Amino acid sequence: MSELDRRRFLNRAVLGGATVVGATALGSVAPEAAFAAIQPDGEKLELDPSKPDPDFAEGRITGISGSLLLVTGSDGALHRIQLTGGTSIWKLRPTTIESAEVGDGLYARGVRMGDGTLAADAVWLNIVNLTVHISSIGKDVIHFDHHGSRLVGHVVPGTTAAVYNDTPAISDLSLLKVGVHVQVIGAWRPDTNEVDLATVYAAA
Amino acid sequence: MIGWFAALQPLLVGAVLLWAGAFKLLARRAPALARRSALSTLVGKDRAAVAFRAVGSAELAVGAVLLAPPALAVEAVVATGLCIALLGYLGYARVVAPESSCGCLSAKHTPVRWRSFARTGVLAAASALAVAGAQWWLPAVDARPGPAVVVLAAEALVVLALSPDLDSYWLVPLRRLRVRLSHPLAGSAGFEIPVASSVQQLLRSPAFQAAGPWVRSDLLDFWDEAEWRVLSYTARYGGRLATAVFAVPRLRYEPDAVRAVLVDEADHSVLWEFAPAPAPVPTG
Repeated sequence: MSELDRRRFLNRAVLGGATVVGATALGSVAPEAAFAAIQPDGEKLELDPSKPDPDFAEGRITGISGSLLLVTGSDGALHRIQLTGGTSIWKLRPTTIESAEVGDGLYARGVRMGDGTLAADAVWLNIVNLTVHISSIGKDVIHFDHHGSRLVGHVVPGTTAAVYNDTPAISDLSLLKVGVHVQVIGAWRPDTNEVDLATVYAAA
Repeated sequence: MIGWFAALQPLLVGAVLLWAGAFKLLARRAPALARRSALSTLVGKDRAAVAFRAVGSAELAVGAVLLAPPALAVEAVVATGLCIALLGYLGYARVVAPESSCGCLSAKHTPVRWRSFARTGVLAAASALAVAGAQWWLPAVDARPGPAVVVLAAEALVVLALSPDLDSYWLVPLRRLRVRLSHPLAGSAGFEIPVASSVQQLLRSPAFQAAGPWVRSDLLDFWDEAEWRVLSYTARYGGRLATAVFAVPRLRYEPDAVRAVLVDEADHSVLWEFAPAPAPVPTG
């Protein structure tokens, strides 16, 4: 199925009033049942608080081989991260595996396979979450003070959004003021002090 | 000429020291500020407030002596020593506690950077120059008031420009004014709804709260379909791989209207569906 066909098909499914086939067969759809569906019968969630979460990895991409990412963690651990068509990949916006590059910072969540590979459900590339002050505003660029260090935030038209006072996000950034405190979610440009801005949270 | 120029310097150095000392002794938040400054790593947290006040008293005393007649070379030597000691403190702060505040001229949290060093350097140079002063500053100003005002104003501007802790008094308002005049981000205002907005709405919807436990990935794909924005996620339902598809109202904020289905990846059958309850029909 091509991407366009797939979108058409999913459109029909969610908007066209498709017939539900499996629901009754699979039982209740209450949230409790949904949680139960994640954990098959009898299987207990075993977490050892003294060990790192096996289903999570972070680090920087040191190699890419097809859909397999080789990642060196900040603690020196080596991870192999397998991407599939069902893996969400974020790099400033939802994107595809082609946009992953060697040197990108990475967070990945998924399921650890028997051979140690992490089958990723979700991958975030270069994502940063920063609390900063706006030190100045220029044409499509916002300069930040991050605990005394300079940081350059690039406004990406069509992608950068602002959330004012916890109201729904809008694309209008013109309510941002010099000197105020904001929280920034963005994509770091590796080995620079620059980020592309995804969402800016501010009071207005 | 040098003697006249040097005679003006105690006024600049004295005024800055008076400001610094008075702020340290009078600021309401002085004890808290002392704990956040590099002084607390130097002398310990408990003694930081006392040390902060002691430094302030020393600055106040030297500043007052510099401003008061007569002008003695030894005063300038003491002021130079104080500035050099301050340079040493800044170096210590930069190395040992780079994120701590300078606590120099205002309560604003300002980590030590090159501007603080440059300001202290300028003050040290001015103090050293003052040793060569021929007379007290008041007669010196009196002798050539015009040039004296120009020289002192220029020096004061240099000190102000090199004071990151005073930026909020002049630099921030100036930059705000520039933004108000030039509107550099006005181009971002449009009618386009950012996907972040749709995701926000989705996360607050009953549909997502019901389907959330099955969702395994972050946003996989999104597209617009008439008045809807469709968002897809990877999901697992029992042991089956599925795609969770959500339709979120694109142009209005109505989380209750969000629709959802769970589509089996293997045979494309719909496993589960969430249709919002129809809005109650107004009666009467």
